[in-house]
Amino acid sequence: MERLMELARKISDKVEIYSIDEKTDLIWFENSKLKEIDTKIQSGVSLRIIKDGKLGFAYTKDLIDREEILQNALHSLAGGVEGVFDFPHTLVTTELNTYDPSIVSLLNTEIVNECRRVNDILTSKTSGQINLYAERNIYNIRIMNSYGTDLQAMSSIYLFEPEILYPASYSAIRRLLIEKKFKKASDEYLNFLLNTYNQSIKEVNPGKGRMKVLFLPEVIYVLMWRLLSATNGKSVYQKESPILEKMGERIFNKKLTVYDDPLNDKIPDARGFDDEGVPCQFFSIIENGVLKNFYYDLYYAEKMNMKPTGHGFKTTMWAGEIVSTKPTPSLEHLYIKCGDKSFSELVSHVDRGIIIGGALGAHSGNIPNGDFSIGLSPGIYVENGEIVGHVKDAMIAGNIYNTMKNVVDIEDTLHPTFVGTFPAILFDDVSVLIKG
Amino acid sequence: MFDRLKSILSKVDADYADIRYEIKKDTKIVFNGKELTEIDSNSTDGYVLRVLKNGGLSSVAFTKSMDADDAIKDSIVNAILISKNIEKPVELAKTDILEDTFIPNLNEDPREVSIDEKLEITRKYNNIPLKYDMIVTTNVGYTEIIREKYFLSTEGSKIREDLVTTRIRGTITSSDGEILQNVRVGIGGSNGFAVIRCKEEEFEKRTSIVLDLLKAKPVDGGIYNVILNPDLAGVFTHEAFGHFSEADIIEDCPSIREKMQIGTKLGNDIVSIIDDATMPDQLGFYKFDDEGVKVRPTQLMKNGVLVGRLHSRRTAASFGESLSGHGVAEDYRFPPIIRMGNIFIEPGADNFDNLLTRLKDGLYLLDAKGGQTSGENFTFGAQYGYIIKNGKLDKLIRDINISGNLYHTLQNIVAVGDDLELSRVGGCGKGQLNIRSCSGAPHILVNDVVVGGV
Repeated sequence: MERLMELARKISDKVEIYSIDEKTDLIWFENSKLKEIDTKIQSGVSLRIIKDGKLGFAYTKDLIDREEILQNALHSLAGGVEGVFDFPHTLVTTELNTYDPSIVSLLNTEIVNECRRVNDILTSKTSGQINLYAERNIYNIRIMNSYGTDLQAMSSIYLFEPEILYPASYSAIRRLLIEKKFKKASDEYLNFLLNTYNQSIKEVNPGKGRMKVLFLPEVIYVLMWRLLSATNGKSVYQKESPILEKMGERIFNKKLTVYDDPLNDKIPDARGFDDEGVPCQFFSIIENGVLKNFYYDLYYAEKMNMKPTGHGFKTTMWAGEIVSTKPTPSLEHLYIKCGDKSFSELVSHVDRGIIIGGALGAHSGNIPNGDFSIGLSPGIYVENGEIVGHVKDAMIAGNIYNTMKNVVDIEDTLHPTFVGTFPAILFDDVSVLIKG
Repeated sequence: MFDRLKSILSKVDADYADIRYEIKKDTKIVFNGKELTEIDSNSTDGYVLRVLKNGGLSSVAFTKSMDADDAIKDSIVNAILISKNIEKPVELAKTDILEDTFIPNLNEDPREVSIDEKLEITRKYNNIPLKYDMIVTTNVGYTEIIREKYFLSTEGSKIREDLVTTRIRGTITSSDGEILQNVRVGIGGSNGFAVIRCKEEEFEKRTSIVLDLLKAKPVDGGIYNVILNPDLAGVFTHEAFGHFSEADIIEDCPSIREKMQIGTKLGNDIVSIIDDATMPDQLGFYKFDDEGVKVRPTQLMKNGVLVGRLHSRRTAASFGESLSGHGVAEDYRFPPIIRMGNIFIEPGADNFDNLLTRLKDGLYLLDAKGGQTSGENFTFGAQYGYIIKNGKLDKLIRDINISGNLYHTLQNIVAVGDDLELSRVGGCGKGQLNIRSCSGAPHILVNDVVVGGV
């Protein structure tokens, strides 16, 4: 990388090099049977150069031919993409504990044995089909730029997610366990899955209407997706946000506080700097319902004449190739502040309503406008504070700027999900449609 | 290249192994509003090694040649671990041993079109919506992906194939100061750069729709009889039925597999569905899958009866059914999984006017806006629609999502049009992204569909 930096500096004004080395093991049990163990050993290098206010971008998976990546960056530069920003001069970032070396010596056999142990417990206590997914990931990122920034982050991640499926369906109750090292699933964790599933096995049809809806943490991303779209510096710059003029205003219920906390290293994948080398920080998005901040990477911060907020990340949807993407504004460490009600208290507050355990079609609909319209997968029906069954052919629909004003209560515990760390949230007056 | 692959395979002590090496050339040009935000062209490469040992099948994807020995070691260890933890050893269905090279005939090779010309064409299309004051932004991008694939197996198959995909796709967003509306736009294909040219009309049409949507009313949630246009009916075919035809989806889900027995009557008599990846000018075209199997047209449903399924070598053996050649990977980062090629509902007898007359009162829904399936349940969005009153198009509607149950919906397809169309851009995210996923249908009339409003 040093040699590449040296060569790139000769042909440009500013240089940034990002490299990643990653190893992932994926283990998948389906219907209680071990189905797959796949391994990925991946690496790659991205190069951004800026010359005369223009930006060039190139990447490779294997840095053998430095001349090729330099030429690709120069060709990209000739295209004329604006590059008026500076790369940061970051010498010090918050020290974080993100890597547990025991992850290296963890054998896939141990993960398989844990899957079998959990599978045996679940199958002995429920009739539903059991699937289990486990993953061990180690990555090492390095970011250098021509201002002298040279940062490294090493992370270890152990991830485990069992699910119990409803009959004739991939609709399931699931919950993620994520740690920096191997950890056995606790009884409490498994009991949540078992109790929620076993109480809702019966198929019921309560009819449509507006009712209370309890979003499990696993479904909160549907709402957050719309909020992240609206507060993204790119959307703000492109005027593709319905809350452009709402800064400082209460847009949601005062019980809602949403923030980004990359420095929380109790959870894996904490980061002291973003993928552009900008230091990360605790960052408030919504505080007691009030809109506090939009978030920016280097490019859109410059466009909006704002300071970068440390949210330039290389993110992809659908398992895209990381090195082939440029950083864009992204909240990678999202949290919602927990409330003061236990999960069972939340359920007991529902006279007639639905618990949503999974969403279908979260990516469809008019996301910039805040609209959502999702199939329930599953939708669990609650009557007089007790789970009585699950519904089929059901949807809920709404707009986050209405729905998130109607918060009844928030769970007192945070749960990790693939999108952020959230509590369950109970909303009132949500439109529920169930086919009779 | 094949010599290097042969050298790697020669070190693998297993019952079977294959290796795929790919060079992926990726060109991107992106406009966000008036601004060009990306233009680059890069080449990456990598390997996927699969090993079958003692009845365990495992894969390792790796980037660097120097990691080959680690990859071999990991794949063997993992395959043995699987073999010790499964009751029934994995078998691969027998396939012809092939030595072949397939380079597609293109109507204008994108590699021979300069990046400057690609940039100007993309800019020209992007500027069409931006002429209008109420268009707040666009996100329009040209993507060209060229995969050069080399496949070698210990059985002796040796296949070289290129896949060339070009497209311009994106979204156009309008606002009247109160609400935001957007529509998707997409042109492209797998048969050369010519499909990118002369598509101004498409961008004009999509712009007109997104401007009109500002005045449209949100649909009232409810149960409706609906006509789905070919794009939306194609997404239904892909999402709801197609994924259930992928043997790896249902293989270990007994309650679904029981319902998907070959010979079962699942749909109305008028519904016939095929996956035909051999259609040379369609997006989902290919000749050999990523297990070295020659793809073949696969009839999935005939007159409402389930007659076939999409298979990999593993599932074909496990189900005791014929190979179909549908083990496809996104690129060098993934082992193959079962994917659709060109899946579509075969055309029927009714023209569009007949369908409107038969519908009488209901909704006409057009163009997909994302879809997802979970077992027999599916949800997908429509970009816009019309209320149908007494067989005539009435008011424009927006904010439309449809949800339903596969089996009920297949039975509730009561008429199939005569106007088959197949999609020109794709993107199915079943763990990996398949940009050549192609679906289609004629207009279809479906009774009792759950439509969720906002």
